Amino acid sequence: MTQNIIVSPSPHINKHHSTQSIMLNVIIALTPAMIAAVIFFRLQAVYVTGTCIITCLISEWLCNCFRKQPNSLGDLSAAVTGIILAFSVPPALPIWAAVIGSAFAIIIGKMVFGGLGANIFNPAMIGRAFLTASFGMLMTTWTVPATIDKNMPVMSPANTSVMTQATPLAWSKQAIKTKDVQDESKKVKASVADGMFKNLFWGSRGGCIGETSSLALIIGGLYLIIIGTITWHVPVAVLLSAFIFSAIPYLMNDTSYASPVFHLLSGGMLIGAFFIATDPVTSPLTKKGQWIFGIGVGGLTILIRIIGEYPEGMMFSILLMNSVTPLIEKFCKVVPAGGTPNA
Amino acid sequence: MLSQHIGAICKPLVNKKDTVTAGQLIGNADAFVSAPIHSPVNGTVKDIALCSHPVLGRTQAIIIESSENNQPKKPCPNRFDPTFDPGPFSAQQIFDAVRKAGIVGMGGAGFPASVKLKANPQSPVTDILINGCECEPFITCDYRLMLEWTNQILVGIALISKALNCTNIYICIEDNKPDAVAIFKKAVHASAFASNMNIVTIKTKYPQGGERQLIKSVLNKEVPTGGIPPMIGVLVSNVATAAAIAEAVAGDIPLTHRVLTVSGNGVKNPGNFYAPVGIAVSELIELAGGLTDDAVKIILGGPMMGFAIADLSTPTTKTSGAITVLAEKDLPKRRETPCIRCGRCVAACPVHINPTKIAHAVKHNMLDVAQQHYMSACIECGCCSYSCPADIELTGFIKTGKILVARQKNLMPK
Repeated sequence: MTQNIIVSPSPHINKHHSTQSIMLNVIIALTPAMIAAVIFFRLQAVYVTGTCIITCLISEWLCNCFRKQPNSLGDLSAAVTGIILAFSVPPALPIWAAVIGSAFAIIIGKMVFGGLGANIFNPAMIGRAFLTASFGMLMTTWTVPATIDKNMPVMSPANTSVMTQATPLAWSKQAIKTKDVQDESKKVKASVADGMFKNLFWGSRGGCIGETSSLALIIGGLYLIIIGTITWHVPVAVLLSAFIFSAIPYLMNDTSYASPVFHLLSGGMLIGAFFIATDPVTSPLTKKGQWIFGIGVGGLTILIRIIGEYPEGMMFSILLMNSVTPLIEKFCKVVPAGGTPNA
Repeated sequence: MLSQHIGAICKPLVNKKDTVTAGQLIGNADAFVSAPIHSPVNGTVKDIALCSHPVLGRTQAIIIESSENNQPKKPCPNRFDPTFDPGPFSAQQIFDAVRKAGIVGMGGAGFPASVKLKANPQSPVTDILINGCECEPFITCDYRLMLEWTNQILVGIALISKALNCTNIYICIEDNKPDAVAIFKKAVHASAFASNMNIVTIKTKYPQGGERQLIKSVLNKEVPTGGIPPMIGVLVSNVATAAAIAEAVAGDIPLTHRVLTVSGNGVKNPGNFYAPVGIAVSELIELAGGLTDDAVKIILGGPMMGFAIADLSTPTTKTSGAITVLAEKDLPKRRETPCIRCGRCVAACPVHINPTKIAHAVKHNMLDVAQQHYMSACIECGCCSYSCPADIELTGFIKTGKILVARQKNLMPK
């Protein structure tokens, strides 16, 4: 026998996909949101996103060199982290802050745990949490979309050199916080928040780079579900629980609280449900676990939005649920077909 | 090869340089769970020595050099006509004949068929499933058998039914073989003894042919984890086994030959062959036109569960249904990357266990953790490795873990 014969364990064939192709699909799915970001925030969006991606890749490469590990840039997970992080920061974020956030996301959020697959928290959310804690002002300065007419109420024009406005969620928060029932402005504020559906859907509103256009995110999310990169369980669980939790206060008092549909379309709800909560590494393995995880993310987000101090709660609820994922796993052990053996 | 089945290994009954004739008993064991072995050819015993075995590494075998004057054994397709009457055979007669003929489960497991046919008064068999589901890609031997030996299979089924005194019979065929379904419907309709048999068409899906999966699909019953189908009153038998039972009982012919598929992109003329049990893999490949230039992997079995072999002189056994030769282009380029916990293996697993947890436990030598996650329930179908985007050999790790546990308990040598 002169030929080389390969011997390896079965199976001898496999599905033609890889971690790289999964990550590539996520990047493809984020493209509509990227296009929307360029339309609304012009070159600012491109600069910040580009900076985040490049910084993430360089940080990962440096960590690999430092740990004497093989180069892992090829799996594209660092690029995805960069894009997600960029999409969840305001467009006017200075480049230096984007560099710090991205480096923190990869080095502290991912590589110190041992790289892809070993991290407990979603790296992009770690980066964003770090930025929020360190540079609160920069992280809440919202650029007015380039497509919008400038008649929208301006919150604090003196703060920065760019035109800024409050996000729809900030308006809704304002409405909740105005305790004085007699205050006429409360109704106005809630109705401003409520009346933004069209802008929420198309994306012409203040917000983070990639989260403003609901349409683009829904297209991307559906693409991921249809080609099988993610399953529908987590997004549906997140959105369903957010809908139910926000419907309760709305039904009790619809002048102070924004409608559930508003909550679904605003802030980071859609990007979180489709792209961040579905991160396989930091969410449970089993379908049952994914339901619990998704319901937790949706419920906590609404809780923070309505009762908490921050207008947006997606980031914290995802990080919180990330931290309980091992616990969820423990309670959602799979039962083999044929039941548990009596042992 | 003296170990062709689950259970006690046979002792050789012949000596070196003995002359043997086709059908002569050459190996036997007294244990209940075992099956005797017969020589498939006329010839002389060249040696009794260790020989490559796809699963056990090396095991004792009787090496027979076939003599010049060998007449190829004629298979007896449809020798049984539709008027066959299983009446004269008693359950005990059927059991004895099956035991004597050395019949084992020919779908792959190699469980001695006679053991299954021994009626157990504590848990009587209520349903008989005849497994015509060949779910692995490339393999077509059972399909050809169903088309060409239809009556013989039906006779075998009638005898199984007689032995177990059970008349709920389901012949299960996948929906990608409509001609087999049609031919069986016709044959069942035409024959006097088979009129009570149901033909079930089930979805083509891997691993539909696994007995647990088949029982779930057809009867919607689940075999307890760690248990076997008779515990819930079900007997599953492969179509090839049924055909062999018909030959053994009605024709008193031992199991010495079987149909094998030799296929894959690595052989020149793939096909099905009726070959003596124990023929070397290399000879079968020659019959199929030889290897192509880019053939890189020779598998005893199918591409999902088969064993890749390095030694082409490895003999086939009673359970070898296929030889699949893969060419370079068929092989995935595997490079293991970190698990991203995507859960595709969990979703793919037909027995609902957590392959990644078990595999990583085995990898870090934590066999107790692996067992807590029901490692023993794994049927080694390969679906987890197949679906893993990180190219982790999940099935390989689980198999390794099972072997390590068996060694700890001294159930396995080495």
